[in-house]
Amino acid sequence: MQKKLIRAAFILMVALSPFFNLNGQEGYTNHDDLSARLNQLAREFPAVATLESLDKTNGGKEIWLLSIGTGDLENRPAIAVAGGVSGEYPVGTELALLFAEKILENSGDDRVKELLSETTFYVFPDMNPDARAQFFSRLRYERTGNAYPPHSVERNARLAEDPYRDLNGDNMITMMRTEDPSGEWITHPKDPRVMVRASFEKGETGKYTLKPEGIDSDMYDLFNMHREGMVDFNKNFTFQYPAFTPRAGEHAVSEIESRAIADFLFESKNVFAVVGFGPADNLTAPLTYNERAASGRMVTGILQEDAKVNSMVSNKYSGLVSTEGATGKSGTDGDFFQWAYFHYGRFSFSTPGWWVPASEGGSSNPEINFLEWAESEGLENVFVPWQEVEHPDYPGQKTEVGGIAPFVMNNPPYEIVERSAGEHFNFLLELAEMRPVTDIVNVRTERLGRDLHRVTVDIFNEGVFPTVTELGERVRWVQKTVVNFDPDEGQELVSGKRVEVLDRIEGKGRYECSWLVRGRGEIKIRAGAESTGFKEIEINL
Amino acid sequence: MKIKTNITRIKLLLFVFILFSNTVYSQTADQIFKAAGTPATPKVEIHWNRYYDFDGVAEICRKLADAHPSLATLESIGSSYEGREIWLLTVTNLENKPHREKPGFWIDANIHANEIQGTEIALYTAWYLLENYGKNDFITKLMDEKVFYIAPTINPDGRDNYIYEPNTGSTPRSGTIPLDDSGDGVAANDPFDDLNNDGHITQMRRRNPLGQFRECPEDPRRMVRVGPGEQGEFELLGLEGIDRNHDGRVNSDGIGRYDPNRDWGWNWQPDHVQRGAYHYPFALPENRAVRDFVVAHPNIAGAQTYHNMGGMILRGPGTREDEQYYTFADRNVYDALGELGDKLLPGYRYLVLYQDLYSVYGGQIDWFHFGRGIYTFTNELFTRYLYFYEQYEDREEAQKAPYQFDRYLLFEDAFVPWEEYDHPQFGKIEIGGFKKNFGRLHPGFLLETDAHRNMAFTLFHAYHTPQLEIHDVQVKDLGRGQKEITAVIANGRIIPTHSGIDLRYNIERPNYISLEGGDVLAGMRVLNPDLNVVEEQKRNPEIIEVDNIPGMGHVTVRWIVDGGRNYTIKVDSAKGGVVRKSF
Repeated sequence: MQKKLIRAAFILMVALSPFFNLNGQEGYTNHDDLSARLNQLAREFPAVATLESLDKTNGGKEIWLLSIGTGDLENRPAIAVAGGVSGEYPVGTELALLFAEKILENSGDDRVKELLSETTFYVFPDMNPDARAQFFSRLRYERTGNAYPPHSVERNARLAEDPYRDLNGDNMITMMRTEDPSGEWITHPKDPRVMVRASFEKGETGKYTLKPEGIDSDMYDLFNMHREGMVDFNKNFTFQYPAFTPRAGEHAVSEIESRAIADFLFESKNVFAVVGFGPADNLTAPLTYNERAASGRMVTGILQEDAKVNSMVSNKYSGLVSTEGATGKSGTDGDFFQWAYFHYGRFSFSTPGWWVPASEGGSSNPEINFLEWAESEGLENVFVPWQEVEHPDYPGQKTEVGGIAPFVMNNPPYEIVERSAGEHFNFLLELAEMRPVTDIVNVRTERLGRDLHRVTVDIFNEGVFPTVTELGERVRWVQKTVVNFDPDEGQELVSGKRVEVLDRIEGKGRYECSWLVRGRGEIKIRAGAESTGFKEIEINL
Repeated sequence: MKIKTNITRIKLLLFVFILFSNTVYSQTADQIFKAAGTPATPKVEIHWNRYYDFDGVAEICRKLADAHPSLATLESIGSSYEGREIWLLTVTNLENKPHREKPGFWIDANIHANEIQGTEIALYTAWYLLENYGKNDFITKLMDEKVFYIAPTINPDGRDNYIYEPNTGSTPRSGTIPLDDSGDGVAANDPFDDLNNDGHITQMRRRNPLGQFRECPEDPRRMVRVGPGEQGEFELLGLEGIDRNHDGRVNSDGIGRYDPNRDWGWNWQPDHVQRGAYHYPFALPENRAVRDFVVAHPNIAGAQTYHNMGGMILRGPGTREDEQYYTFADRNVYDALGELGDKLLPGYRYLVLYQDLYSVYGGQIDWFHFGRGIYTFTNELFTRYLYFYEQYEDREEAQKAPYQFDRYLLFEDAFVPWEEYDHPQFGKIEIGGFKKNFGRLHPGFLLETDAHRNMAFTLFHAYHTPQLEIHDVQVKDLGRGQKEITAVIANGRIIPTHSGIDLRYNIERPNYISLEGGDVLAGMRVLNPDLNVVEEQKRNPEIIEVDNIPGMGHVTVRWIVDGGRNYTIKVDSAKGGVVRKSF
């Protein structure tokens, strides 16, 4: 019944919103449908998938976590897959959701079955649901901020005001240009729909001012807009936190959403890699080692060994995913992607999942390139033609509203999403298959004399990934490999450590441990960490 | 029935006992001759020469609030990791004006578990204010004008752990969330072992002809390193304990360990950059409670936090890169107050944290200053100077002083004499050393003195939070029913309504100076009244927005009004309070 209602509401919404249906973005999953599909997965695959809500946002939406795997999920390597990192990229939520659906639908296949018995996936499809909701609202715009806490609306009405105003009644916030001899903008010579800044060096003079569609008094004096509410999840993390900038929040990790995921991840010692679908891109453009940034007290550049892993994973990615048009955006201050590496200490990968492919015309202007590509693909309604409006702030000045529709440059039509999801599914499987795995090999016992033995083993990382990141060696929240040597009661440990904590072991690398033991009995050796799994052996002397 | 009479009888006995004990323990008022500066017959009798556990602190808070209902309220602003309340006393004249309309002063203590005496100093402050209200003019006026928010302990779990669990004077610094310090995957699996069961963690030494230590000839309790080329009699084995987690180190994984004072939301850095940081700013519930309260009370203009030790009056910033955010005006405020502190607190020095001590990322002092624009000091309580009123240049002299002080003034109450012990890992050893209540904490007889001096410093700090006054109002008739009303708003204290960082990042809203009673046609800030340099405010002219009213400074505003006879000017300043004047 509830499902039917949701469905009905969905159809109604689609019917009411003309552009929703025409610019190729139908098929995207709103929060209610997302919740329904996640619940469906948990019902359909109870042995493999568990759904929980980490918290509820100020907008009343669940922050979902779907844990995927069979057996003991916590004591073996895990990958965290995050969608909805930025409200400008709802495609990320689709990729995370489709990944979950695909892996569960294939959980009976041998390859996936084996993988899921040894690896855990934590899927967070929608990390800032209130921001993403704007994609599905009657008034659509690229929103990155979360919802205001309920009390602040009442306390400071000015804060809660919508910063935008739909002047041309198309249910979208686009741009607004006003003829003004002191303006800095002109139309692009190649395509007058596109606005560019006049170049002083080229002798051009501006003809327009250009602003987001809205009324100045709405934007005016948004005092302390950054203080509460409307915080961007992807600006609210601790690495190079942009204090006192718009939408950064009161302080780092101040929000329900950022705290929910940070708390979960800090508790989850088994996570060795985080994969986020968001604006940053180190999968087509791997982070490179820079000695200066990587040294000193405050590390701001990837360490050398970790850069090699990033590079290796990028190569893998480019072989599996169509990366045409990739722009390789770097991380931004306070974002989730950089936090996951620099402060959480795990391998962190991020990709928008899709880029506008280069058009045949090959313009260096991204908007012209997009419009040409969209035309060649037959996409409609990706551009709102400039239309004159009466604007209270500019009486007597010609003001027009128009421009590229929101979202379309970052979020492809759904058939492309589906294709991309298949590619990312393959990538994530391969990534998981490279996970670090602790093994104990080359077990030797030598008799040195009566009742005196030397026991030697190699702690072997049979995965491709190192056991921890190079940076992780100094991050206390990253569990290193622990070797426990437990002799029998009657035995005496003459040399060697009962407990040893090992630094990073490279992929296919090993570390030799040896002990001298006097006396007979059964010795237990256990090695590993949550993020590499544990291995235990017994030796009888 | 019979049981009831028995209970009544017991109650009666108790009553008589209490009466009797009162006559034993306290004097009647007519037997007392007042010492200057101290309430002689307070409503609440408190001994200021000893320390109180969490329950004791809570009870003192309750007694103070109960005895002074028109001056104090007690509330819990949150609870700790283990579920203890974070108590907060609001101390002010509750009857003249809402406390949120007065400039506020925040006091807290004990963020580091072992640094407990700030709590008693915070309580002393509350007590002193309450017991002097109506008796001392300065205090009475201060409480009429200002409000004090006093959180005596913001690490209550740590406090009781320090008091009740075996510890040294330096442990625990942390709160009590168990973390894995040794990296072996198991949290808190190698804490101290109180081998001799005396509640104190002291030193372990072992006789060893190859050792590098011997007993000091002057005071054999003290171990001294032998000179170059000499052989000693003892080796030192560290603090009392057993290697329980078999990592080859004794006491490698105890309570915590994290530093609650690296958990604050300005320039926070992770543990691998700033040792002691927890997961992210305000990840600790105790600090989150403080944050929530401070954010909800934008009237807080000054703050004091208490630590130990070293005799320091510290201002921020915690790091060199943040010094740029201190304006000239900010430094002047800190310097004026800090130099007063130098005088009021013998043996204490006014210092800059990053410059004179060490760098701290994510410290409380920085969040208060940079996150909220609050002028804040951290006092590192107690200094060796207080032993014999001497500063020690010489290391040897400095090390001798506590032994001499303990011998001649405490009669060796602070030392656990060396005694033999059979250690499972080290064999025959001896255990001894200073108790945990000595070295960083004030000995009883010095506590009240230093509490008073520190309090005096904070009271002057609080006194200098902005004090706004509608100083002068002039009304000029412009004819046609219009009037020009010009008002001068003065700040009579050294702290401005907005600190440098407030202004730079718009942390706090501007001061609103509004006129009621007429139809306001225009409003303006008057930058120079003599030369008529004015700046019109076109939007909402009835509420003039003024970015800052500087310390010991004033601003002038003007309205052109149509009609009206009786006017009211209201100055509404987040940190400067609310004042009104009608004419």
